[in-house]
Amino acid sequence: MNAIEARDLSKHYRDVAAIDEVSISLEENRVHGLLGRNGAGKTTLMKLLTAQIFASSGSMQVLGEDPVENAGVLSRTCFIQESQKYPDGFRPRDVLRIAQKLYPAWDQGLAADLVADFRLPEKRAIRKLSRGQLSAVGIIIGLASRAPLTFFDEPYLGLDAVARRLFFDRLLADYAEHPRTIVLSTHHIDEVSNLLEHVVLLDQGRVMLDEEADALQGAAIEVSGRLAEVEEFTARSEVLHEARIGALATATILTDGETTAAAARAAGLDVAPVSLQNYIVHRTTAAAPAAAR
Amino acid sequence: MRYRTVIDMHFVNRMQAYGWPLLVMVIALVIVLSIGAIVGTQGAEVRAEMYEGMTWSGAIFSLLGPLIGYGFVSMGQYFPLALGLGVTRREFAAGQSLLFLGNALAYALLVTLGKTVEAATGGFGLGIRFFDVFYTGTGASWQTFVQTFLLIVAVLFLGAAITSAFLRFGQPILWISGSLLGLLGVAIVAGIVLVDGFGGRLLELLTLSWGSWMGVIAAVGLVAAGTWVLLVRRTQVR
Amino acid sequence: MLDESKPLFIAVAEQIEEGILDATYVEDEPVPSTNELAAFLRINPATAGKGLNRLVDAGVLVKRRGVGMFVAPGAVELLRRRRREAFTRTYLVPLLREAARLDIPPHELVQMITKEASR
Repeated sequence: MNAIEARDLSKHYRDVAAIDEVSISLEENRVHGLLGRNGAGKTTLMKLLTAQIFASSGSMQVLGEDPVENAGVLSRTCFIQESQKYPDGFRPRDVLRIAQKLYPAWDQGLAADLVADFRLPEKRAIRKLSRGQLSAVGIIIGLASRAPLTFFDEPYLGLDAVARRLFFDRLLADYAEHPRTIVLSTHHIDEVSNLLEHVVLLDQGRVMLDEEADALQGAAIEVSGRLAEVEEFTARSEVLHEARIGALATATILTDGETTAAAARAAGLDVAPVSLQNYIVHRTTAAAPAAAR
Repeated sequence: MRYRTVIDMHFVNRMQAYGWPLLVMVIALVIVLSIGAIVGTQGAEVRAEMYEGMTWSGAIFSLLGPLIGYGFVSMGQYFPLALGLGVTRREFAAGQSLLFLGNALAYALLVTLGKTVEAATGGFGLGIRFFDVFYTGTGASWQTFVQTFLLIVAVLFLGAAITSAFLRFGQPILWISGSLLGLLGVAIVAGIVLVDGFGGRLLELLTLSWGSWMGVIAAVGLVAAGTWVLLVRRTQVR
Repeated sequence: MLDESKPLFIAVAEQIEEGILDATYVEDEPVPSTNELAAFLRINPATAGKGLNRLVDAGVLVKRRGVGMFVAPGAVELLRRRRREAFTRTYLVPLLREAARLDIPPHELVQMITKEASR
């Protein structure tokens, strides 16, 4: 079954299309990456799917039903927003107590462990928390809610290296024990790429890429060698990025399966893998001039 | 019952829901009492005069300021958190409405009680009026209670409605509604000055029976609540 | 830790293969579970599972219902045979190409190998 099914979903703000005819299917019990540059529409899409805002057109099914004003769906959906606002005077323990009442599958033991792990000052006013501590509040709710569908919007904001690793490990461990659908939206792609099974890349409100992570891993390679040889080899391929220094060149190209790397090696070129992060960067920068035209 | 959690949310920061309105009211009362104590030293005649004059004292309205603020805050601060935690707009509206009604009940009881004690003790022995004024009713205690309750409910829903309208339509709604109110004021003044008999009619209109006045307040409250319920179902969390 | 040039599940499978070849995992003994592997390698459990299943399909591991995955009897032999087949392509071809660049004729290369091996 699909946890999320969107068909031609659009969200317009006056004449700007923040989300433009997005159609995606996210399978349940997997970790999906929702990637893209700032302003690509990631947060808007998640807000639509969790009924925080209303769609201008199109349709969506979340956990099999329309999520709008649907308590049955929304109580099984947890959306951790980077910009979540809290009322004056709220402390982390207040928010956790309220979240506990709202999410049926909440695990208080896990919440308590995470508060200790993140060293979250539970009794300090949220207004006085650092950006990292604020992110920790969201992460704790997102994990402890055990919601069948959980969205994390930029969970890493302001976290130090220790806390980032902590989030990754606790998410992985809890996900392994309690499989559920996770949608991760982040710019720290390298940090989470080993966790993602499926990737949706948004660019200017549209779906630019909708692929299995496995397929993306070998989707591009970096070949380098003498300029003439590199140019000859890459003439037949789609080049995402090219750099030259003197008579040497390096090019990032799309592959046609595993044979491309072998062919490059046979042509005497050096072949290096392209990380998901770099692949995404190349794809989005390659698209920018085309869109500007 | 998830609407209950909406109510629970408001018990986190009790100062915001109950503390401020009470504190502001108590401060206003203390000021009035101090005035009473000072004026009282001028002799019994002056005191009696003050007791009479204070029938028109509006100090009790100090309670309404924080209450309309509470209406603003419920939409501005609690609504985004409730929705962020997966509460539906309908659940939020149900919980918030119950809270408004409960709050109004508590404050109306308080004012009625204050008025009864004040009247029985001749202005707390200082010859002042704070609760026992024209605006809290001139009839029986139950009338005071009904009147205060309706007024406070109307104010709370009005605060929430204004904030929802602001969230829904943005800044322009404030300008438009402000201008309309201003125009209405100008029209009334112009009517009194320019049209013969306008002022008299207006006065007749304002000296409605108690029951009719309650109808007017209830209608304002209902319109505000209706507008709010209508808007909140369409409000988006930015 | 894992080879990044390949899909992750293939890298996982290769890592287990290495473990079998250097006797970290012995025939008829269990290999780590999907979740253990995922936590250790810090990868998605589904990817770890896919890697393990690839080895089951290849006959390197066997699934024992309710207990877990075990190294199949004869797995070491199977892996050696497969690796030998790939040896020429992965090691000899690049070696000969580099040797040609350095003007090392094949007979000299053989001498070099013999000398290095006897050290």
